[in-house]
Amino acid sequence: MRNILLVALREFTNTARSKGFIFGLLLMPLLALIASVMIPRIQHSVSPQVRGAVAVIDPSGRVTTDLAAALTPSAILARRQASARAAGANDQVARYAANASDVPQLEVIGRSADADVQAQKDWLLSPKGTSPEPLAVVVIAADAVTRRPGAADYGTYDLFVSPHLNAATEGTLRDALRQAVIGARLKTNGEDAAMIDAALRLTPPEPAMIDPKGEHKSGRGVMRALPFICGILLLIAVMTGGQVLMTSTVEEKSSRVVEVLLAAVSPVELMAGKLLGQLGIGVLMVGVYLGISVVALVQFSLFSLLNPVLLLYVLVFYVIAYLVYGSLMLAVGAAVNQLADAQSLMGPIMILLMVPYVLTPVIGNAPNSHMSVALSFIPPINSFAMLARIASDTPPPLWQVLATIVVGLASAAVAVWFAAKIFRISLLMHGKPPSITTLIRWAREA
Amino acid sequence: MTLAVDIRSVSKSFNGTRAIDGLDLSIPEGATYGLIGPSGAGKTTAIRMIMSILFPDSGTLSVLGQESALAAKDRIGYLPEERGSYRKMRVGEFLTYIGRLKGRTRSQCEARAQRLLRRLGLDDVMQKKCEDLSKGMLQRVQFVAALVNQPDLIILDEPFSGLDPLSVRLMKEVIEDEHGRGATIIFSTHVMAHAEELCQQIVMIDKGRKVLDEATAGLRRQYDPRRILLAPLDPGASLDALKKLPGVQDVTTGPDEALIMLAAGTDPATAIRGIVERVAPARIELARIRLEDIFIRLVSEGVSEESRQQLRTHLQGLST
Repeated sequence: MRNILLVALREFTNTARSKGFIFGLLLMPLLALIASVMIPRIQHSVSPQVRGAVAVIDPSGRVTTDLAAALTPSAILARRQASARAAGANDQVARYAANASDVPQLEVIGRSADADVQAQKDWLLSPKGTSPEPLAVVVIAADAVTRRPGAADYGTYDLFVSPHLNAATEGTLRDALRQAVIGARLKTNGEDAAMIDAALRLTPPEPAMIDPKGEHKSGRGVMRALPFICGILLLIAVMTGGQVLMTSTVEEKSSRVVEVLLAAVSPVELMAGKLLGQLGIGVLMVGVYLGISVVALVQFSLFSLLNPVLLLYVLVFYVIAYLVYGSLMLAVGAAVNQLADAQSLMGPIMILLMVPYVLTPVIGNAPNSHMSVALSFIPPINSFAMLARIASDTPPPLWQVLATIVVGLASAAVAVWFAAKIFRISLLMHGKPPSITTLIRWAREA
Repeated sequence: MTLAVDIRSVSKSFNGTRAIDGLDLSIPEGATYGLIGPSGAGKTTAIRMIMSILFPDSGTLSVLGQESALAAKDRIGYLPEERGSYRKMRVGEFLTYIGRLKGRTRSQCEARAQRLLRRLGLDDVMQKKCEDLSKGMLQRVQFVAALVNQPDLIILDEPFSGLDPLSVRLMKEVIEDEHGRGATIIFSTHVMAHAEELCQQIVMIDKGRKVLDEATAGLRRQYDPRRILLAPLDPGASLDALKKLPGVQDVTTGPDEALIMLAAGTDPATAIRGIVERVAPARIELARIRLEDIFIRLVSEGVSEESRQQLRTHLQGLST
């Protein structure tokens, strides 16, 4: 036991002190912070204000005025805010949407109904510096407002744009055209356009969740993302520990220090120490991430939505997943002489790791489907599947959780047994790297 | 007599190839044993089995009174042939780690490592990273790692390969000191001269089999064919008269010197006096048999002269 702890301590301190680990440990929360703070700001950040002119050829004579009205800054702002709310955005995002400083200043220039379209297209190619800058030409179809006799559908419009027109302003122009053309159609038919618009608008409210702790209006989105967040946390922690185990074993083997170590410790002690040391690294990593998550939830007053037992389950399922995947990666490290040789053996392990990770959001959305329940008991997917189910809106019954833990521990024991066999046989072997079938044969013969 | 290592009828095969074949070996505590033989003879496999790094297919083995070296690892120092270190680790940290794995305290390890490093001319490397040392320096550090736990049994597999003569001399002195304090030393080499100089007992292995297990002192007596080397003062002098000398069995002439073989029971001193009376010598001496001669004689019966010469070159360590 003394030797196992000494090997584990060396593994732990060696990894924890490395710049790569410290950088990796901080990178993940940093990226999450940047994503949570920056993405809404980037999406709704103030762009340089677009100024220019839109020429309209309107044979109906009923669209141009409404289009000019729909392109006033106040009308553009109102439309932005309404569409943000309709998309379910919260107050913060809606506030960004209502930022007036990047609303385009568009001048609508009415052209005569028989204006030459080609000349208008040429106008879009006016030299730089022309004021106002030509941005778009809209040609309203003759039947855009009034249907041709016997026709089921209305006509539409053609839009020609300058290369300098950005996508956001083009979208604004399209929205305004929609409003103006439909408004003109309704007016022509004697309908109250404002009333119909109001009747069609239904702003969805933010749902309030009622649980024994009270009513919660915010944070449902975060809670829905929990299965995915748990999956990515498990993946990163398992990958980090497993990769370090594999590379450090390859390094010990290729630098020939392994025989010096085997003079002091048995192969099983060496393997157990390495597994334990990197387990400590993984627990440290998961602990840091969970700690940061808890602080963030407290900061946004969302902690009450989280079941604290989930934190414990994350650790339990991390340990199980780590022992399964870490043991296999350790066996690969012991079997090869250099990292390049490990790629072919790592392929199947990476697939076994990525498949459950990819499935976590799906399982989180349907936590009690037959498939989700079945996957909770199939190693090595079970840790990811059960954690996603626990983190979902409708967690599984306790007996299923306990059964998954038992299955997980049994699979971890098999993986450690397999790795120990490979480890003992292959540590002093050099030469051609073995295939997967060779590894299995070694494990059976050892 | 207490045995440090006791190997009985041990065999080991790899993929059908027998690396060790029925090896018996008893090494008493406090002895210095040389395990010699050409590369591939099975020396390293035998040592790895003594260390319980490999396990025999058949036979029994005990080390320091234990059935397996695993139970006595804290009392064993081992310098493997394929030795390494943690490149990024500091020397002091590395030696302390190895010493602590063998049951010593940090302070014991540091004190002993410091003392041994100083003896090997490495006074100021404790704080250096292993990757910053030259190959020779690192090899001496690895030698210290084998001794840092003050072991009762020291196993050194080709400890001098690639080292400069000064380092070899310093290491030999340390080995002699360790032996002096009572440690048992097993020393494997394919350079016979090293074994001849350091070991009380020589064990020769060839193709996994023990072909010799003799005390170094008795070895020459047993195998000395009583040969005399003569370099005549006049290179053109006739040596025919020597063939008629009583006790002379044969005279082989070479370009610079002649090898005179004496019959069994002939007194070399009488023979030398007779030779000198007949041929004026520039140099005359008893040709002492070397380990490689014995080894070649033991293993190369029926082998061509060219093969013998290749084996001799190899054993003399000319390739190292």
